[in-house]
Amino acid sequence: MKTEMLLPLAACLVLAASLAQAQSPGQRLAQSACTQCHSFGKGEPNGVGPNLYGLLGRPAGASTGFAYSKQYLDAMKGKTWDRALLDQWLADTQAVAPGSTMAYFQDDPKKRAALIEYMQSLK
Amino acid sequence: MADRIRSDAGANSRRRFMQQAGAGSAGVAAATLGLSMQEADAATAPAFDATYDIVVAGSGAGGLASALFARWQGNSAVILEKAGSIGGTTAKAAFWYWVPNNEAMKKAGIADPKPDFLKYVARLSNPQGYDPGHPRYGFTQWEYDMCSAFYDSASPAAELLAAKGALPYRHVADVPDYFAELPEDKAPKGRVLVPKEAIPSMADGGLVAVRTMSTKARQEGIPIRTGVRVTKLLQDKSARVIGVEAKDELGATVRLRARKAVIFATGGFTHNVELRRNFLNGPIFGGCAAPSNEGDFVPIAGALGAQLRNMNYAWSCPIPLEKAIAKDGSISGMFSVAGDSMLFVNKYGHRNVNEKLQYNELAQTFFEWDGAKAEYPNLVRIAIWDQRSQQHSASAEYGRLIVPPGTDDRHVIKGATLAELARGIDERFAKYAGAIGAARLAPEFLTNLQAAIARFNQFAKTGKDLDFKRGERVVEQLFNGDVKDEPGRSNPTMWPLADAGPYYAALVVAGTLDTKGGPKTDTNGRVLDAGDQPIPGLYGVGNCVASASGRAYWAGGATLGPIIAFAYRAANAAHAEGRSAA
Repeated sequence: MKTEMLLPLAACLVLAASLAQAQSPGQRLAQSACTQCHSFGKGEPNGVGPNLYGLLGRPAGASTGFAYSKQYLDAMKGKTWDRALLDQWLADTQAVAPGSTMAYFQDDPKKRAALIEYMQSLK
Repeated sequence: MADRIRSDAGANSRRRFMQQAGAGSAGVAAATLGLSMQEADAATAPAFDATYDIVVAGSGAGGLASALFARWQGNSAVILEKAGSIGGTTAKAAFWYWVPNNEAMKKAGIADPKPDFLKYVARLSNPQGYDPGHPRYGFTQWEYDMCSAFYDSASPAAELLAAKGALPYRHVADVPDYFAELPEDKAPKGRVLVPKEAIPSMADGGLVAVRTMSTKARQEGIPIRTGVRVTKLLQDKSARVIGVEAKDELGATVRLRARKAVIFATGGFTHNVELRRNFLNGPIFGGCAAPSNEGDFVPIAGALGAQLRNMNYAWSCPIPLEKAIAKDGSISGMFSVAGDSMLFVNKYGHRNVNEKLQYNELAQTFFEWDGAKAEYPNLVRIAIWDQRSQQHSASAEYGRLIVPPGTDDRHVIKGATLAELARGIDERFAKYAGAIGAARLAPEFLTNLQAAIARFNQFAKTGKDLDFKRGERVVEQLFNGDVKDEPGRSNPTMWPLADAGPYYAALVVAGTLDTKGGPKTDTNGRVLDAGDQPIPGLYGVGNCVASASGRAYWAGGATLGPIIAFAYRAANAAHAEGRSAA
């Protein structure tokens, strides 16, 4: 009787743990902040914004099939996405590329770090 | 232990809120703008994390405009946004805004007299009660007053936003109203404005508006806090609303004091299945409202006794079934049903609608009920087109089903022949059985489809759709989209489908831009209780409150025009409220 009751509980705990693992804080933040415009999975289509799979290490403005604004391309020319650039970008996109399409700002460095961590994990 | 954890969480959340430029930057902003620190200073009572004159919930057009209008009169304001990024549904909109009697019309010599304007909106919003001889044209006093207030305030609101650099506009003089041919419409063109920097197709207008308005708001010292969801209103002993309680992204609670007013601009209930089922007038599968539009204001205002209005209607549009089911955050309404060699059929293979009907009206035809079969025969319609339309009518804008190569085409079903296409369509029906009442294609689908195409092709050759008059109204040609040029053709919305494949198809259901019912407000955005008395300190603007438009979609921008007008009126009324004692 006792084991019968314990087993489902254990199963629940495992499930809860795997869900928590699947949903890191960064992924949760990405879900609420980014997915209205961006997809993150490999090979997924561009939305309002470009697909972000494997962004870190790539030159900015290089997503195939996505039409960037002139303001974005002018400001980002010659730049490569690294943690520092992404941190600046997420802190205030309009400070990095004024007049570009994306209006996003995250004042909390911990939340930016979590987002960057999540994006770096996608490879 | 539990108590200690809770209070720790509260303290952390307070610190975090302050760190994130809550009170701190409001204070800095107040100092640079010459306001007394008292006006924009932090917590005046220990129970609150920060204090502002105006607390705004929602960062779409309604929230941004309300906060700006209030700020420009010297009030401190904060904007709380539930989602992780700003802009709500506005960020996805083309952001046409319909502004009666606007300054650009006046300069161009286009007259837009108020009585005729009110007749036009009364004719469309209350068709069964419309009476041109009645002093209010058959409108109730509330409907009349709301539409009248919209007429009076939309242009001053648009002008102020433009003059302050928050939302410069350009006039779209050639876009017709959606019922331009009605005799009541004395200004069938000229009421539409769009953000000045929008691209020529205007499809990115919302992103431009959110960018320019939010940039201005931050310059003006209005903190915009994302990931903060208002969960309840706080009242004093006299039942005046004096603030809000909210949860941040990590679940901690913050409490903000509003000395003058709380203004909600949190959008409708498109993504709340329970509210949709219980209030809307037909089976709606979702829509292009921001995913965070879950009808939060309905229970929040309901708890204070607000009365509801117009809950049965939405700003409707057809949507691709699969994007609705996938909860694709970037889903767009099908504002432009593109293609000339293209038609819609239902699961029986019957073509029974004018595919080019303006989107709000087209969506309503999906609700037709067959009382004998006890079913919605048009619950899922199938758009079918050929290689010609695929080649010449593809676009990634305005929610089109026919999309260019390399863009998201997961909703597209392909077949070398009509028979193969039909099999593919039925497989998709089977795949989504749980979402569409287990509907499948009828056995006679293919035969009927072939007959429907043959009949449509005859109409296309003459340019006259004898069944549904496709393409005969000016609005139907407005949204026709790109088609292959055919010199001498009388009706650019139709062309025969090819006799040979490949063919393409996509499943279409009814959806919303967003809903348009909610708590009733007066003409100044004050939320009204069951006795039509304002709930002190509580305001609402936009799709989170009741629209007086009934079922109607008067013109492109009939969503955002009133939102800007009522943001202006609400902010003015909120500004005039005395600051309540701490």
